[in-house]
Amino acid sequence: MANYFNTLPLREQLNQLGQAEFMDSSEFADGVNALKGKKIVIVGAGAQGLNQGLNLRDSGLDVSYALRKEAIEQKRDSWKNATDNNFVVGTYEELIPTADLVINLTPDKQHTSVVNAVMPLMKEGSTLSYSHGFNIVEEGMEIRKDITVIMVAPKCPGSEVRAEYLRGFGVPTLIAVHPENDPQGKGWAEAKAYCVGTGGHHAGVLKSSFVAEVKSDLMGEQTILCGLLQTGSILSFDKMVEKGIDPGYASKLVQYGVEVITEALKHGGVSGMMDRLSNPAKVKAFELSEELKDIMRPLFQKHQDDIMSGEFSKTMMEDWANGDANLLKWRAETGETAFEKTPAGDVKIGEQEYFDNYVLMVAFVRAGVELAFETMVEAGIKPESAYYESLHETPLIANTIARKKLFEMNRVISDTAEYGCYLFDQACKPLLKDFMKNIDTDVVGKNFNDGKDGAVDNVKLVQINEILRNHEVEVVGRKLRKAMTAMKAIKTV
Amino acid sequence: MTEPVVHIRNLNVQYSKNVVLNDLCWSIHHGQNYLLGGKSGSGKTTLAKAIAGLLPTNHEIKFHFDPSSNLPAKVIYISNWFQFTNLEGDRNFYYQQRYNHHQGHDTLTVKAELQHFAEKENLDFNIIEERIRDFGFEDLLNSQLIALSSGEHKKLQLIRGLWPQPQLIIIDEPYTGLDKHSRTVLNNWLDELVVSGSQIILITNDTQLPQSINGFTQIIDGKINEVKSRSEIQVDNNRQKRQLPDFLKNAPSTSYDTVAELKNIFIRYGEKQVLKDVTWTVNVGEKWLLQGANGSGKSTLLSLINGDHPQAYGHDLSLFGNKRGSGESIWDIKQKIGIISPEMHWYFDQKATVWHTIASGFYDSIGWFIDVKFTEKQQIEELMEFFDLTAYRDQLLHTLPLGKQRLAMLARTIIKNPPLLVLDEPCQGLDIEQTKYFNDVVDELAVLGKTLIYVGHYESQLPSCIEHRIVLEKGEVKAIENILESV
Repeated sequence: MANYFNTLPLREQLNQLGQAEFMDSSEFADGVNALKGKKIVIVGAGAQGLNQGLNLRDSGLDVSYALRKEAIEQKRDSWKNATDNNFVVGTYEELIPTADLVINLTPDKQHTSVVNAVMPLMKEGSTLSYSHGFNIVEEGMEIRKDITVIMVAPKCPGSEVRAEYLRGFGVPTLIAVHPENDPQGKGWAEAKAYCVGTGGHHAGVLKSSFVAEVKSDLMGEQTILCGLLQTGSILSFDKMVEKGIDPGYASKLVQYGVEVITEALKHGGVSGMMDRLSNPAKVKAFELSEELKDIMRPLFQKHQDDIMSGEFSKTMMEDWANGDANLLKWRAETGETAFEKTPAGDVKIGEQEYFDNYVLMVAFVRAGVELAFETMVEAGIKPESAYYESLHETPLIANTIARKKLFEMNRVISDTAEYGCYLFDQACKPLLKDFMKNIDTDVVGKNFNDGKDGAVDNVKLVQINEILRNHEVEVVGRKLRKAMTAMKAIKTV
Repeated sequence: MTEPVVHIRNLNVQYSKNVVLNDLCWSIHHGQNYLLGGKSGSGKTTLAKAIAGLLPTNHEIKFHFDPSSNLPAKVIYISNWFQFTNLEGDRNFYYQQRYNHHQGHDTLTVKAELQHFAEKENLDFNIIEERIRDFGFEDLLNSQLIALSSGEHKKLQLIRGLWPQPQLIIIDEPYTGLDKHSRTVLNNWLDELVVSGSQIILITNDTQLPQSINGFTQIIDGKINEVKSRSEIQVDNNRQKRQLPDFLKNAPSTSYDTVAELKNIFIRYGEKQVLKDVTWTVNVGEKWLLQGANGSGKSTLLSLINGDHPQAYGHDLSLFGNKRGSGESIWDIKQKIGIISPEMHWYFDQKATVWHTIASGFYDSIGWFIDVKFTEKQQIEELMEFFDLTAYRDQLLHTLPLGKQRLAMLARTIIKNPPLLVLDEPCQGLDIEQTKYFNDVVDELAVLGKTLIYVGHYESQLPSCIEHRIVLEKGEVKAIENILESV
């Protein structure tokens, strides 16, 4: 199978990369009707599979689960998840031939084998759905011409997809139809109905393409979302311990700080986050982040280049073929870091304290969000897509760190994200060595404002505010956030 | 005379402009066990928290514990609200989570939670085993915290709180959610603690108290006001009857005869059988009382009816004339139901004001949407007026006295004029006067063709419109009967 993107002429590459349209809520007026009475069979009952299925059924749709024979016979977790919630469960042979819509929610790594097993069993004219385009775009899987191929990708972990649905909302979702597989022209109608069934239409839907989704999703998750949060968290923790801050305090500040800080990002973008700092702290965070952007820009560019050329997916697939040797090694190393092994201390940290005592993380987040966004847009990805894959998702990933640190983050994210995260982290830490030498506890661990009189230079502050607010990620972000009808607060610990 | 155990001089507490405690002075002497009662919002919880050291104070409170006692020389405060966390201290749960079955375990088991606590406080597990048995809690030791009902959570909270037995124990609304038997167990336990050297302060307006209570006090205008007996404690003013808003006077139109029809329903979570062969029919317009001890399956039964339970599919269950799983969405079902439950209140959006709370009722969402139509806005205003909530319009829900919070939650359920009202222990944590007030409102709302399912523990505190009763015991239907006289 050849890399699909690389087989396209440049004209078509640019066309598919550049697809991103924020959909108006009136486009969802038909609700779930396009799928009503149709038979939906989900393959895989992990976090995404189970929770999307619960939502679709609660929206009045007919949902059952197809699992591999061994998973059923051995009563694995996927089988328990589905049967404990009273779903019909059967083998591929039993259920796939009856399905009007087959939803593939297995891990990326299994897509080729799953699709090869499922495709011959699928009904003439039925639909196959993905929630990530890797298999189609990077692995070049070709689907039978009578089958419609769509993508519905909720931009949140499965548990959030369920929780938000039950609260009466949803999570932002990206939908696409594969241009090579829409023989009946029903792809968009079904993708929209599926999206309504999971609640996504309440939170903003982006009309995208398989190509744009893959190339931006890989970039976001490797750099700002997982990679930089991991690198920043570990470096911050180690620095505090090195400088004599209580490890329990340091652990708590890092574990929850990233969630509290990025919560401000969710509401008011990068400038909203920076505005939570005092003026002198903001100036400091700005200067640190400018420095970080200069240091890390080549690394961000390398990641984007490798993603576009297919180099990244090739290397990763080689690791798959090699029994995940690198992935498992890096995963084990992450589990052994001092941050991971130090439990959060039993100290109270107030919401504002997370900003005042963790200016360094604010700088990391600004640098990472802006760099990822800038690099993606330079590579031909639309600002709307770039926004979702950088700024928008950062608080969601931060939330998993707050839950159970980096181990949890890497458990929840996809296997491609986990691989890319480690790849970035390995390269980024040495790059920041000199930068970290000059870092002291005034920007991580202690209140930056202590002992300062709060004075700043007027002209400098005005300039900084202008640079922050006029960045393109802020301009497009203001527009997209306004379109989301509901924005709710998380609770701080 | 020896020095008082607790000596408070000129304690002042205010929240923004609102003065709660005003130069308050109070001495609690050895051997005094108090009932702290009075009107809601008078500052009882604030005072308790101040004594327990949970509010910043400037040495206005002095303690003289008994140095010869072998009990820990400290004070414990058991709050009226139980907030458990998952394994890593996160609290971002949603209220239906206990019904959604995953293989992942997000919270500790009851036993692990107690063992963890014992380790932290250096306590002996053996001394608590008898209490666990008394409360009927043994079977739950291996349950996940998230799977407990509200009454079971209260028991766990009491067991944890009383276990270290310090010299001074303050309990805020000790009886919230407890069934009759458990109340007696608790009162006996408190009496035993007093005999063995502890002092207790209970914040409640309840009448069934431990025998050891020998002092009665309340807070008036921010100051302590001691009285001779319980009957002298002030209660909230009676409710002024108001005109029901016009938009609620139209009986909802119904195209079906039965609201809910359940036949031979079995629900289990792993090993735990929660409902066993339950058959029950609720016809349009009927007013039902649902009763049963803590953990008997009441909330699970209701979750089947309001669309919250994933196991509702694949059973012989019809709602509003439609077989469950025949193409209806949970939002179609919720649209016809107004519901309150302790769990829902726990998990309700902390950022919601009273206005947002009521507005969210139009959409059955927790929290709120921005787009509220003009007529809907008018209805919200009318309803706030009806419930005497207009003055609290822009205040955060969770900062109001509990009674007011519950009224706002009731307003939320009623705002869309639903055909079915499901009120699961709506008066949990409210005192007798507040309960009466609340139930009066329920009676007024229920006359107009609405179907009612009401869960309540105490027979004296129910709306008078109730006419049928279903009783659950360990997941089985023990009785279905008509109530001839109004209760």
